[in-house]
Amino acid sequence: MWVGLALIVFLLFLSIYGAFIGAARAQSFINRLPVVVYWITFLLLLIVALAVFRRLVRVPGLLLIHLGCVFILAGAMWSSETGHKLQKKLFGIDKITTGQMRIHEGHSDNRVILEDNKQIKELPFSVELKDFQIKYYKPAYLYIQTRDGQGWKIPVETDTEFPLGPEFGTVKILRAFENFKITIEDGSRKIIDDPQPGSNPALEVQITSPQGQVTTKYVFERFGGHARPEDKFALSYRRVISDYISRLRITKDNKVVAEKDIEVNHPLSFGGYHFYQHSYDAEASQYTVLMVVSNTGLAVVYAGYWMLCIGVIWHLWLRRIVTKIKLKNK
Amino acid sequence: MEIKYTIQGLLIYATIIAYLCAFVITLLHRRKIGHILYVFGFIIAVFSFGYRWYHVRHVPLQNLFEVFLCLGMIYPVSLFCRRFLRVGGYSADMLIGAIVLFPAGLVFNAEPQQLPPALQSWLFTPHVAVYMLSYIFMAKATFQAISQLAGKSPGANENLLGPEQATYRIICIGFPPLTLGLILGSYWGKKAWGDYWGWDPKELWGLASWLVYVGYFHFRYMFGKKHPRINSFWAIAGMAVIIITLLWVNLSRLFPGLHSYAT
Repeated sequence: MWVGLALIVFLLFLSIYGAFIGAARAQSFINRLPVVVYWITFLLLLIVALAVFRRLVRVPGLLLIHLGCVFILAGAMWSSETGHKLQKKLFGIDKITTGQMRIHEGHSDNRVILEDNKQIKELPFSVELKDFQIKYYKPAYLYIQTRDGQGWKIPVETDTEFPLGPEFGTVKILRAFENFKITIEDGSRKIIDDPQPGSNPALEVQITSPQGQVTTKYVFERFGGHARPEDKFALSYRRVISDYISRLRITKDNKVVAEKDIEVNHPLSFGGYHFYQHSYDAEASQYTVLMVVSNTGLAVVYAGYWMLCIGVIWHLWLRRIVTKIKLKNK
Repeated sequence: MEIKYTIQGLLIYATIIAYLCAFVITLLHRRKIGHILYVFGFIIAVFSFGYRWYHVRHVPLQNLFEVFLCLGMIYPVSLFCRRFLRVGGYSADMLIGAIVLFPAGLVFNAEPQQLPPALQSWLFTPHVAVYMLSYIFMAKATFQAISQLAGKSPGANENLLGPEQATYRIICIGFPPLTLGLILGSYWGKKAWGDYWGWDPKELWGLASWLVYVGYFHFRYMFGKKHPRINSFWAIAGMAVIIITLLWVNLSRLFPGLHSYAT
């Protein structure tokens, strides 16, 4: 038990050290050989403890808690990169551990760029991106910031005039663009909301000074906050993303085998993999980036989670309540 | 520091004043009036939380302001500990309630925020709520641990547990939600980001706080009777790590990560 306590304290310090070095370095750190030795020792110690300490087996709560930890550790090892390599060696199962797919709208692909960015592997089926959408919260806002720190947040409603006080005049949003473009027609400049693929959100804003002087400005979502020396305030246009949706279709041997609109928190599961909405084309919303993760070992980890939760709740809460009820009945 | 001249701000200040008055009056042995003020403060705290909920249109547990607003509703935990666990520290709870509301009222920004896609999950509320519940219990356990180290014990006529036993009882109640919070977070991470463990600083500090209490249980089982004071040090260390997890990780630039939106 001394050893157990020492390993818990060691893991505590490992966690704190990992928190200071950041997620990426912590992940590579825990995969180093000495730490891997530690994980294996921890796992073996838990198994030995279950075999040696009879109390751990006799008390159901304690058994579930410790067995749960064994399952979580074993599942995590089995689902790791090394675990996948071992499965390939022992059973010939060659699965992608984790990688990314970039798919353009209307195209399908089965190539996965592995995490190291050097290798490409193919899935035994194809993933087609039918459509990609970004949804925004409504209303969007125009932010106005004066040089002395005064600010306004104005909802984007066209043709509504907002007073900014006697010092600054009024502001009116004339048009909202999804894809702002300037074209030359018959030698003159024309501003349009281009329906072609692309994204350049902008606002046409009319500013009326207290003296009645009217100026028109264009405020771009991507290049906000600019102000000329003579401007009294800076304008910026911000929209908050509410959702990303990739409409996916999976085909195998020219047959559609699965279809799902994936969003953050709603991945697609198929063929031993999970597909997650990972990133997207920020310039024109024309492609999506999916994260592909193997589901190997996941069921073992989840079984461990259930055991740990049930064990802790039973041992620390329910067992006492049941004992009290039994005593009362006696 | 920033005073909030809004209805939300006024509700928070009213709760703090009610809790502080309840604390002082209880110390002056006017327990009944203290209790009434405590309940009154709790009612304002619930109203304040409800007002925020109505205002932001989602369960207000998104950022530190909202989380501390939630922690201010401490009364049911005090009542539960006194009635069912025979644990004292009722007046200290009033002070804890005022202390946790202080940053909500004067430090954190109350600007409503829309939920980013990652937070739009059924797991959002249970994951944060069980952590908050656990943290309140652990704060109470810490108070009991400090009482033990200070050599204080309840009066003979109070029918309450001694501080060491009380610390253990409360940690036994607070540990399952702490475990549940960690596991729900991990499950949610898998759903949202593709990995059940991302080695993010917040996750690692969360694991560290869980491990301190795991260490507490093991140490107490092995040497608890021989070194009861060291048990209390474990409990205090647990709270210190919880404070780091809750505050430092989100406020310090030392720990950038996936949980940065909670700031």
